Order: sequence, then structure tokens, then C-alpha cells
Amino acid sequence: MLNLINLAFSLIAGILLGYFVRDKKRFNLGGVTFGAIVVLIFSLGFSIGSNNELLNSLPRVALNAIVILLLTILFSVVFVKMARKMVKIE
Amino acid sequence: MIKYILVTLVLGVAAGYLNHIFGNIFAGIFVSDYLFNFSLILLLLVMGFMFGADKEAAAKLKKAGLKILVVPFSVALGSVLGGLIGGLILGINVFASMAVSAGYGWYTLAGPLVGQLFGVEFGALGFTVNFLRELLTITTISLTVKIDKYAPVAFGGATTMDTTLPVIVRYCGSEALITAFSSGFTLSLIAPFTITAIAALQ
Repeated sequence: MLNLINLAFSLIAGILLGYFVRDKKRFNLGGVTFGAIVVLIFSLGFSIGSNNELLNSLPRVALNAIVILLLTILFSVVFVKMARKMVKIE
Repeated sequence: MIKYILVTLVLGVAAGYLNHIFGNIFAGIFVSDYLFNFSLILLLLVMGFMFGADKEAAAKLKKAGLKILVVPFSVALGSVLGGLIGGLILGINVFASMAVSAGYGWYTLAGPLVGQLFGVEFGALGFTVNFLRELLTITTISLTVKIDKYAPVAFGGATTMDTTLPVIVRYCGSEALITAFSSGFTLSLIAPFTITAIAALQ
């Protein structure tokens, strides 16, 4: 729960900062984002690779997992698409 | 972009795996915890900053308003329905399969929680389904964004507030930031409750 709050706080702090410097200067933060994404994805991979429980269970449950996953994602996308049409979110 | 992400992911998995089999020569917590949290917080600050400085993005969000909360609830309903149908097709406990889907991609939650409520076998399934959901969101994003602008947000479920958020913003644009973040945030909040509620139904 603390993590949820930390993340929301960082995002809001960023938005406020950006809002106050608006019109002042043009910023190009693409490089920073890219670097941080690489670090983030690497550490995500690292924790997956270190997680034996997860890696061992993969082959055993793979077939059931794929069926459930595909249906879960399919209906999520269909429902979001329908909802976007109904309430007209751009 | 996606090429670099995939290569980095594979390198990360290999590094984590090797470090683990060689008995954690390097304290893994530095990478999987500190480095992860640091880069995530930095990303949120930077993405928030770019959003705040972008007039158009804010105007678009203002127009949509609270309606964007429709997105996470559609993802939640769609996921649980997908879990139900999947359970019926496979002939397994449908409550367990619905609970698995109600992890919304948050595998470190869904694995242990479903395991505790439905037994170890389903815990493993909860781990795998939700882990693959996160992985699939990242790896297929360049294709899924063509189905619908918010299809990657639906794919990502609860992960769109952290791990998959930067990739989504890259592909769906800065105005998707708040929709994706609030969707992931809402789903992360309701995931433990939906899983426990589904377990209570059976």
C-alpha cells in the first residue's frame, strides 16, 4: 500500500513541476526516460530470473495459463473497447 | 524501442538467474528492489513532468474527466469473465480460475494470495498467468496499440501504473499517461479484494 502511495506521489509531484515550468522552456527528456526504462526492465527481468518458484512452475501450468490468459486479455480488450464507445472516451 | 526492451529483459532474466544459481554472489535486492524502485520513481516524475508541461494532454484529460475510471472497471469485468470461460473450457475450479484472472497482471500478489485461498497448484497458475500478462503487454505493444489506442492499457491491467507504464506512454502518447496510471492504480487497489471476494463465493 505504501508503494501505491509513493508512486502516486511521484507522479503528482512531476505533474505539478511540469505545470509550473510550462511555457518557460522546451525540455527534451526522451534520453532520461529511455535510460530509466532500460534500468526498470532490467531489474524486472532480474527479479523474474531470481524467482525460482516462478520459473519452476512455468512448464507445469503453461497450457492452462495460456488458455486463461488469452481469454482474460481478449475480454479485457473487448470490454474496454465497448466502454470507450459507450461513454465516448477519446 | 521494443527491440532494446526485449534484449534488456532477456539480459535481466539471465543475470538474475545466474546470480541465483551461483548463490546470490551479488545481493539481488539491490537490483530487484532498490534499482527497480529508483528507476520507477524517476520515470513517474519525468513522465508526470512532461504531462504537466503538455497543454494538449491536460486539455484532453479534462474533457474525459472521471469517465476514464470506466477503463479499469471494464478491464476488471473482462478479466474475471475471461477467467470464468477459461475455467469452464479447461474443466477446472471456475472460482480459482476467476481469482487467477483477478490478479490483473500483479503476479507477486496473485501467486501467493490465490495459493493461500485455493492451494499451491492454483497459486502456481496465478503466478504464471499474471506474469505472462505483464510480459505479453510489453512484448506485443507495437501490435496491440493498432487494435485500439487503449488496448495496451487493457492488456496491462494492474501493471499499467508501474512496469508497463513507460512503454505504454511511448506507444500511446503522453495523453494516455493518466488513463493508464489511474487504471493500473485502481486495479491494484481492487485486486486483493476481488480475489478474496471470489474465494468467498465458492
